[in-house]
Amino acid sequence: MHKYKIERRPYVSGWTELLAIFSALVTSLIVCAIIIKTTSDAYVTTAFISLFKGAFGNKKAIMDTLVQATPLIFTGLATVVAFRGRIWNIGGEGQFYAGAMMAAWISMNLGSLPQVILVPTIIIGSMIGGATWAAIAGYLKAQFGSNEIIVTVMMNYLILFLLSYLLLGPWQAPDSQYLQTILFSKNTYLPAISGSHLDAGFFLGLIAAVLIYVLLWRTSLGYEIRSIGVNPVAAQYKGLDIKKTIIIIMIISGALAGLGGGAILSGVHHRLRLDISPGYGFTGILVAMMARLNPFGVILAAIFLGAIDNGSTFMQIETNVPVALIDTYQGIVLLLLIISFILVQYRVRRTEDAG
Amino acid sequence: MLDDILKYTFLISLLTGMVRMAVPILLAAEGELIAERSGVLNLGVEGTMLIGAIASFLGTYYTKSLLMGVLWGILAGGLLSAVMAFVVTTLKADQIITGLTINIFSAGIALYMFRTAFTGVATQNLPTVTTFSKAPIPLLSKIPVLGTFVFSQHVLTYVAILLVFLIYLFLYHTKYGLILRSIGDNPRAVDMKGVNISLYKYSAVIFGGMMAGLGGTFLTLVIAGIYSPGIVAGRGWIALSLVILGNWNPFTILVSALLFGFLDTFQLQIQAIGINFPYQILVALPYLLTIIVLVIGRRKSGAPLLAGRPYSREES
Repeated sequence: MHKYKIERRPYVSGWTELLAIFSALVTSLIVCAIIIKTTSDAYVTTAFISLFKGAFGNKKAIMDTLVQATPLIFTGLATVVAFRGRIWNIGGEGQFYAGAMMAAWISMNLGSLPQVILVPTIIIGSMIGGATWAAIAGYLKAQFGSNEIIVTVMMNYLILFLLSYLLLGPWQAPDSQYLQTILFSKNTYLPAISGSHLDAGFFLGLIAAVLIYVLLWRTSLGYEIRSIGVNPVAAQYKGLDIKKTIIIIMIISGALAGLGGGAILSGVHHRLRLDISPGYGFTGILVAMMARLNPFGVILAAIFLGAIDNGSTFMQIETNVPVALIDTYQGIVLLLLIISFILVQYRVRRTEDAG
Repeated sequence: MLDDILKYTFLISLLTGMVRMAVPILLAAEGELIAERSGVLNLGVEGTMLIGAIASFLGTYYTKSLLMGVLWGILAGGLLSAVMAFVVTTLKADQIITGLTINIFSAGIALYMFRTAFTGVATQNLPTVTTFSKAPIPLLSKIPVLGTFVFSQHVLTYVAILLVFLIYLFLYHTKYGLILRSIGDNPRAVDMKGVNISLYKYSAVIFGGMMAGLGGTFLTLVIAGIYSPGIVAGRGWIALSLVILGNWNPFTILVSALLFGFLDTFQLQIQAIGINFPYQILVALPYLLTIIVLVIGRRKSGAPLLAGRPYSREES
């Protein structure tokens, strides 16, 4: 008689993990199909086709998808660095704004500098902005053991209050009743591929992914970050300065998120408003999880989510399915990913029953 | 200006508002307390409150009954937390990651429900529901000052205060409460006694979710009367820090919640008076206080020893 036994796999291969990601994606699409079917009168296939068309239908759509992916690459990488060290930086959103605010300040005050000097200044400035905002939470965690999750969430709110104050006061464009700065000078623009919206930000993201890979797996600092992530107690016994490393992790993570803010400001918006991010910081967590905290995986996951984001607008126009479906989809995918990563750790084996 | 602030009526409305604004975070924090006592750190409180808020709003909107709205809000919170309980207890997934996922998940679901329910409705014409009216307690509400701000509140407020007492009695004066507290500290010992640990964890997390759902319900059906995607505004996270500030004790959590409620109503009412002062600083006060709480309130003795870690028989 045959019996089936569930047992833990001794080793989970990369292919098995890919299978987990794939099955989570497929299942989530099925769930979305059911949601569309039950809550709207659109045809599911039409909705999915228009989603795909909107994301990859022509050259312009593809370029726009990559533009959408750019901020997610940065916030995704920011999450990878932090989560690899098991430092739960949920403040990517706030650090993104901090970076954008530094970029805006530089753009407004030094806008007359030539582009070759100004653009690098903005890039570095936005990194400093994000890093500073993140370092506060890192310091409080290292020094007082304050829960970094709640602190970074609170700081997401605080930076928006600060920005709202600035945009209602000193930073508000004089000719505008909206909460926005002036349009920055052309010297602040990130160079773009001619004839498209795709700017240098995307390529900066690719470079950042390579650098983060090198940092995490080819440097001693990366080794320290990963050892704290695996086992902080053991890392301490090895003589690592955990407090210092926590702050460094937050600084790198915040710099990446801040750079994302700077890149979107100088590459896309060219003026600062309160709504430049629809939640890139939070989606970055999803990106990093889908990528299994791998920097190159971040690029793929960011492009995938950027595509869905970009395609959803077209889907809403064509089929009236609300763009908000995408937010639901992101949550479902993340939940299914967690479940499937656990399920693939087990396997079902058929055993012969001795009796 | 200062005269306005020092007026008797202003002080009374400040105290009344303090109690009212404290209730949502109090409910969520007391629920989280129970979950953490079972060893589950549920970081999804914010999202659970949001789901409670939208479900209760839609419930009342469609059935025209406040009671149904409350029921929907509680059930939705419980349902969402059942998912959390399944993933962290049965599948033993990382509690932090799962909690964060619950937040992203519910933000998406809530937004989608809101958008599909009111397609094509302009933002300024969003529907409202009639909120609960106040329910002064006979006789007691006639007491000067105290009668106005304690005994002239809403029914749900009395329920919330009553729940604090019940939770205290449960935790410290019943066998089940003792077992629950032991599970958070030393699950192995409890397991050896033959207690069904999973059942306790499921019940605790689901109860916590129902409380957070009720907290979200209070926001829509008592305080606001409308739903907006930003209605919870970090209160779930503040509730999490209240558990720390309250040192995992139901009554100290109540006091901490009142402190936050005071700050919240203070900033609202100062804004209403129209003081010449950047309002953003006022709005920021509860969030700043939360950070201060986390700086001074290190992990104290009251914390369950194993909150945040899954329990597995095989692993030590």
